[in-house]
Amino acid sequence: MMTTRDEKHTGLHHTADKVQDTIGGMHGRVKAKTLGSHSGEAFAKNAAIGDIYEITAAKMALKRTRSDRVREAARKMIDDHTTATHQLRSAHRMSETGDLPELPTEVDMRRRKWLEHLEAAPDDKFDETYLDQQVLAHKETVDLMTGYAQSGDNWQLRSFAEGTAPVVERHLAMMEKLRAAL
Amino acid sequence: MAFNPLTEKGIPMDRQFRSWSELAGETYDTNEVHPYTRCRVILMNGIEVEAIMNSHNAARRTADSGIKQMLALVRKAEQQQQKRVNWLIPGSESTIANTIGYEQVAVDLTSWIARHEPDPYLTQAYEFGVLEDYDHLYRYANLMDLMGERRKAEEITGDLTEILPGRPTIFHHRHPHDELRRPMTVQASDIQSILNAMTVVSAEQQTMNFYMTVGNRPEDPLARALYLEIAQVEEQHVSHYESILDPTTPELLNLVLHEYNECWLYWSCMETETDTKIRQVWETHLAMELEHLRLAVDMMKQVDGLDAADFLPKGGLTEPMTFEANKEYVRGVLDRTLDWTAYDSEFVPVGELPEDHRFFDYQRKVNEGGTPSEDVIRRHREEFGGEYRFNTEGEHPNPSLRESGTAEDTPYDKARQNATETV
Repeated sequence: MMTTRDEKHTGLHHTADKVQDTIGGMHGRVKAKTLGSHSGEAFAKNAAIGDIYEITAAKMALKRTRSDRVREAARKMIDDHTTATHQLRSAHRMSETGDLPELPTEVDMRRRKWLEHLEAAPDDKFDETYLDQQVLAHKETVDLMTGYAQSGDNWQLRSFAEGTAPVVERHLAMMEKLRAAL
Repeated sequence: MAFNPLTEKGIPMDRQFRSWSELAGETYDTNEVHPYTRCRVILMNGIEVEAIMNSHNAARRTADSGIKQMLALVRKAEQQQQKRVNWLIPGSESTIANTIGYEQVAVDLTSWIARHEPDPYLTQAYEFGVLEDYDHLYRYANLMDLMGERRKAEEITGDLTEILPGRPTIFHHRHPHDELRRPMTVQASDIQSILNAMTVVSAEQQTMNFYMTVGNRPEDPLARALYLEIAQVEEQHVSHYESILDPTTPELLNLVLHEYNECWLYWSCMETETDTKIRQVWETHLAMELEHLRLAVDMMKQVDGLDAADFLPKGGLTEPMTFEANKEYVRGVLDRTLDWTAYDSEFVPVGELPEDHRFFDYQRKVNEGGTPSEDVIRRHREEFGGEYRFNTEGEHPNPSLRESGTAEDTPYDKARQNATETV
């Protein structure tokens, strides 16, 4: 359940959230490099959830950041992950993807926790929290896309991964640079 | 009836080059020609132009002198073929009359392709485009009257294609990112999907080339402006259709697929042509393309170790691309999807776009001060007392376009009014 602004996590809670986010990110990367790199169903599910997370987090960032550079980055996340969402939906409708299950329309528990932590971040810690999550999330997405592009079991989804991988690699580089500049 | 280009024998290259008088031979009679003969001529000119441009681009990207020599040899023959085909069009056929022919190609070619497309997403891509070319036909038909052409557009198109408003051209103008679709893959797509896409890309590309080159020839400012506006839409169509092709296709495989497509289309023209002299052109060119295909297949085997027989249909192709009436089909598409626009690779009703979507900003910028495709209809109404339409199947499927082909009261107009201006 999302916390309100009046119940911002301070001090210890914020640190605990950050640790949990990091562990979640590590877990995500393992999944991305294993099942996500081979199974079309796992890949598509993970890719869709990743996009939903990115768009939601970026919308939060647009409301709360006081940094022009973070705002610009957040807008780019909305644009690029919306494009990726559309491309994945289009791929899902093609004969080449056969009987893939419907794509998720909500984030999973792990990304829900990230969003909750982002929402709960104190104002003076928001940008740091957002960018820390962005680095974690994009490392996972890069692993997912590059892994599946090389080893995936569905040509159409591999094509999607191949087209998306360079974009998320550039996102990761941008977020790492922004985080380092904070 | 099946046709397998891989097993047929063609004309050797040293017998393919022709003299100037052979190339600049007889033309068709613009007043007597069957509309679909004209359409086949326009289409195959576009196919040859694409063959030539693809060959030039490939030559610019390879250092292999053997490949460059093969490309140059075949390309010279393709250039001669292009001349023979395009020079079938007589000088007495005015640019605007030929333009009507181009848009009839776009409507009836794209409709056939959409009806014969195995993939549901790609079918949507063709249906999306066809309503725009359908509208271009209607706008140019109105312009044709205003230019003092001695014929009505229906005398060019015959009884075969209705001339009615489609998705209004004013609303075709989208942000460039909204022309980029999801590509098929050569590994997993049906061969028909590949041939379909290559064919429509070539046709739309030639239409774009044509309008962007000759659109400045009229003196009338409205005519010049309408060609300019529609040429910009054809750029969108080329981006849209080319984006469904697999961008990772290896160069020599791409060449093989181009030649295979040419064989299919010349065979299709030969099978369906009603003019005996022009049928002879298709037959001769098919025999040439068979040899071009053989050379490309051989080179691919030597260089990449790929055998075309392993992935091209064993029994060949069974259905010729056929120009035929698609009136009911197009009406069905109009009924279902008139108000669609594009958002990245997806097609959505314009009313579902976010109010601050880039579509509305782009529309504001390009349509500021007036829109030629709207002006041409208003001017026709003023000078002739009404719009030009050629309607054989009953009232327009869409109420907002029944009385007027201009933008008022269309779903687009309503969405535009609700849109917010971004900073």
